[in-house]
Amino acid sequence: MKVEDVVCPFCGCLCDDLVVEVEGTRVVNVENGCTLANEKFMGDHRLKAPIRRAGNAWEEISYDEAIEETAAILLDADRPLLYGWSGTFGEAQSVGVHLAELLGAVIDNTSTVCHGPSIMAIQEVGHPGCTLGQVKNRADVVVYWAANPIEAHPRHMSRYTTFCDGFFVKSAFRERKVIVVDVRETESSQVADEFVKVNPGGDYAVLSALRAIVRGKRDLIPATVEGVSREQLFRVADLCMSAKFGAIFFGVGLTMAQGKYKNIRNAIELTEELNRHTKFTISPMRGHWNVYGSNEVFTWITGYPYAVDFARGIAFYNPGETTSVDILRRGECDACLVVASDPGAHFPRACAEHLARIPTVQIDPHVNATTHLSRIQIPVAVTGIDAEGTAYRMDGVPIRTRRLFYGNYPDDLDVLEKLYRIIREARG
Amino acid sequence: MAGILIKNAFVIDPISGIKGEVMDIAINKGKIVEEAPPGSEIIDAAGCLTLPGGIDSHSHVCGTKVNFGRYMSPEDMRAGRTARKGVMHVTSGYSVPTTFGNSYRYSTMGYTTILEGAMAPLEARHTHEEFTATPHQDMLANTLFDGNWSIMEAVQEKDTRRAAAVVAWVLAAAKGFAIKLTNPGGTEAWGWGEDVHSVHDPVPKFGVTPAEIISTMIRANELLNLPHSVHLHCNNLGVPGNYQTTLDTIELAPDLNRERQSLYLTHVQFHSYGGSTWRDICSKSEDITRAVNNRPQVVMDMGQIMFGRTTTMTADGPMEFKLYMLHHNKWSNHDVELETGSGIIPVYYGRKSLVNCVMWSIGLELALLTRNPWQCLLSTDSPNGAPFVKYPEIIALLMSRRLRENERRMIDPRTEHFVPLFAIERELDWYEIAVMTRAAQAKALGITRIGKGYLAPGAEADVAIFSIRPDQVDPSVDYQQVMAGFSRTRYTIKRGRIVARDGEVVVEGANSTIWTKAIVPDAYDMSLDPEFRKKFEQYYTVRMSNYPVQDVYLPRGVRIETEAQL
Amino acid sequence: MNFLLNTGRTIRQGSSVERKNSATYREEASAVSMNPVDMFEMMVEQGDRVRVKSGSGEVVMWVRPDPGLGRGKVFVCLGPYANHLIGTETHGTGMPDFKSTPVSIEPTEEPVPSVAVLMRQCGGVPYEG
Repeated sequence: MKVEDVVCPFCGCLCDDLVVEVEGTRVVNVENGCTLANEKFMGDHRLKAPIRRAGNAWEEISYDEAIEETAAILLDADRPLLYGWSGTFGEAQSVGVHLAELLGAVIDNTSTVCHGPSIMAIQEVGHPGCTLGQVKNRADVVVYWAANPIEAHPRHMSRYTTFCDGFFVKSAFRERKVIVVDVRETESSQVADEFVKVNPGGDYAVLSALRAIVRGKRDLIPATVEGVSREQLFRVADLCMSAKFGAIFFGVGLTMAQGKYKNIRNAIELTEELNRHTKFTISPMRGHWNVYGSNEVFTWITGYPYAVDFARGIAFYNPGETTSVDILRRGECDACLVVASDPGAHFPRACAEHLARIPTVQIDPHVNATTHLSRIQIPVAVTGIDAEGTAYRMDGVPIRTRRLFYGNYPDDLDVLEKLYRIIREARG
Repeated sequence: MAGILIKNAFVIDPISGIKGEVMDIAINKGKIVEEAPPGSEIIDAAGCLTLPGGIDSHSHVCGTKVNFGRYMSPEDMRAGRTARKGVMHVTSGYSVPTTFGNSYRYSTMGYTTILEGAMAPLEARHTHEEFTATPHQDMLANTLFDGNWSIMEAVQEKDTRRAAAVVAWVLAAAKGFAIKLTNPGGTEAWGWGEDVHSVHDPVPKFGVTPAEIISTMIRANELLNLPHSVHLHCNNLGVPGNYQTTLDTIELAPDLNRERQSLYLTHVQFHSYGGSTWRDICSKSEDITRAVNNRPQVVMDMGQIMFGRTTTMTADGPMEFKLYMLHHNKWSNHDVELETGSGIIPVYYGRKSLVNCVMWSIGLELALLTRNPWQCLLSTDSPNGAPFVKYPEIIALLMSRRLRENERRMIDPRTEHFVPLFAIERELDWYEIAVMTRAAQAKALGITRIGKGYLAPGAEADVAIFSIRPDQVDPSVDYQQVMAGFSRTRYTIKRGRIVARDGEVVVEGANSTIWTKAIVPDAYDMSLDPEFRKKFEQYYTVRMSNYPVQDVYLPRGVRIETEAQL
Repeated sequence: MNFLLNTGRTIRQGSSVERKNSATYREEASAVSMNPVDMFEMMVEQGDRVRVKSGSGEVVMWVRPDPGLGRGKVFVCLGPYANHLIGTETHGTGMPDFKSTPVSIEPTEEPVPSVAVLMRQCGGVPYEG
């Protein structure tokens, strides 16, 4: 069976034009997908059944047993952390937030180690953005700043920017200039019309220099700024100011480098200043599939996009304190539920060590680094393959994924709802 | 579910012609009935003011830009937070509360139906997700068409029928309720950082004018027999001297519908400014209300501002950027491909700002100078003018000249030279307030047909019982009691169930989403139109098959079907 | 030799991210990319193993050349190997210094550990099923 217009569940692009061929409970062919999509759909490396650590070994257990034991762990905890959420769909995330509310837990999503600082910057200065189709149809200048779309969002350039024709830009390849700013050469920098190589940690200064130029203060600019020549800075600023529609996309190269959210703030303020001359937008390259959806769901229920602490009954948010890495660093949480992410692989080692010390339960289809740190893992259907629900694209466009077949696994929502019911009954 | 018998209620039910009568109201199976079934719960209303459930015909509560208002404003989230309690979830937020915050606060004020003021079709799924998490009100969504490329192309070709066909397809796809035009043409121009400055200013690259878009859409709306009229946010919002644009817009409104208005103008306060700069801005409420008084085919809502902190949010992207250039606080913008835009900035309306004082006066003047309360509805364009929790204060201001005089002493003393407010003696009465907060909304939205906005047998049992005793309260003097009384109901009943009591929500709630489907002949079914399909796949970034909102997002959807005359 | 460690996504990492026990993932996640001149100075060749140390930990990886990197800079794709070196300081932002950790690198003969072994070092129990 061939299914058309399938939504890819890998990165924040949410490409929705895949054609997927299914035989029974297996995907046998994918058209239109990138390498990441092909691996996602074709790879079939799932954990077969719930497992529990028994001393220095592992044993298979039933779903009911796994869920009940998880509930007991969470009920017994003083300060549980519910982490992850980006790989699953909104309806499951919503139950997760209510579960955290019920438990007085901290709930956090993967933005915490991704675009969390972008959110902090947006909370300071706002966010002039747009949907990706605005860029596709209008942009004559596109800037990728500290992002490497060819490796991280392989179809971003062909669907929305560099290689994508639009209504007002009939031949993107000829009419659209691409600027890449990065600390190193990448596949993406090789297709740029202008590659700006910045010293590591130098983004803030380069952004400030561009802001000064846009404000008409060219005479303030020294011969080089963090490895970038004055001439190149002028050239880039002129390209931006003479654009009819410019779009900046930035990656975690800005959020993770020195300066963190202040880098993003500076980039947003550059965008704002460019809007006094022409039209400019800025957008974070959200990486992990439905991470933006987790921000949306968290926000409409709690008021905050991530790092929400219910310990005092109300929703409390203070990045740097209620963020997962900080909570784990302080050894503060005494149980952790990981859903649809892999902190074992993606958090600093000391955080992984704390996850191993406390009862950690993981709900995830695959064996990953966190598996080895957990007490229990509950495999679930893969969202976008054998589970369906809502996901938000990196620009906020919500799309419903398609279920390609009914497999043998419950989905995240099934498991979380069962967990919620048990805990609600116990807590009253 | 057993019935409810409300005894000795002081009922005002304008649609049923009840202007203040002590009577009983019987409820069974979610409806108002002649006689309550045996075993019904008895509520002794003891002469308390009892009205149909409140209806807000223009509020921003759910969807992409509302949620972004929360997302970017932890300071606002901290400013209003409550813990989980009983059936109530945690809430956060003052001007942009979380969905449960909105729902509980509206419910405890007696509101049972809300129209979300602006939904971009491409992001409709988001609005519907938040509707589901706003459990105590039935929800409707204004659907944005102001910068819709297919509409502008139809306008270029002077093809009203094609415009109607596009509306029918988009409304059904987005599960929207009505046509919303926000700064028509201006949101497309903003795609290039530009705006339109009058109803005759052409839209860049499309060549059509706002006037042409508005006129075409008013006629398309009637061709589809939609329950509501075109819902219009005029061009030039917030610009000194913009009253002329508003008058020009009113001129465009034909009288095409016997049941209701043909054009609904929203948050008109923001569109009633004289002068030419922020220095000489003045009220033009008299000109605007004169025009509206002469045209029964036009209905407006106030868009009252109230002093204090709030968040502005609108699909009107260029306006928000202009506002940002004044405030320099923080600015968000979100343009939506082929459809519309949006912007958000936080603001503070101060009693010491002459401009803000003029704005505050204008809203009240609109309500006081419009002769027929069915033509001027109470709103703050929440949260743009103020969060909806300020409604009781606005009601008190409209009912008490004394309160207005008290306020006069607190605001910028120059205000009176720029506004007629303090010369107006009119004080609205309970009946007029009942019209302006529920009955007129039901009529304007065209939802009396599904039992909204009145209390006669057969109506939906949405009832608000306030602790106010109209026989004992003189609103002109006892304005504090009016404010307190409208701030929390004794009982809010939604579809025959007590949902809130004395300021607390008592059940989990399950709402409906009301949407419109116009049945069109195949020749006007855009899903079968090859040109429409081709352009969709070429220029949108989602596939056409992934665009329509699936039924699963409306667990209790109420579809209003109409027969189009195409 | 001292270097500044940068981390980030690679397409090979992304392709094998749901197979973290696999050799493909291990190979990609444990590769440290280095400017060829630096490799020459350190007298290591592609595939040679090196011990990478930071203020927070140390791990054995293998080297591969990347002329796109400046001298004194190394790159490792995000994952458990890189994270063996990243500290937990977030400077009040929740975000560790994933892009800028000073490390020292020296050749070694020791083997590159598997992901499971790395997690055992963190106190976990390897699941090999």
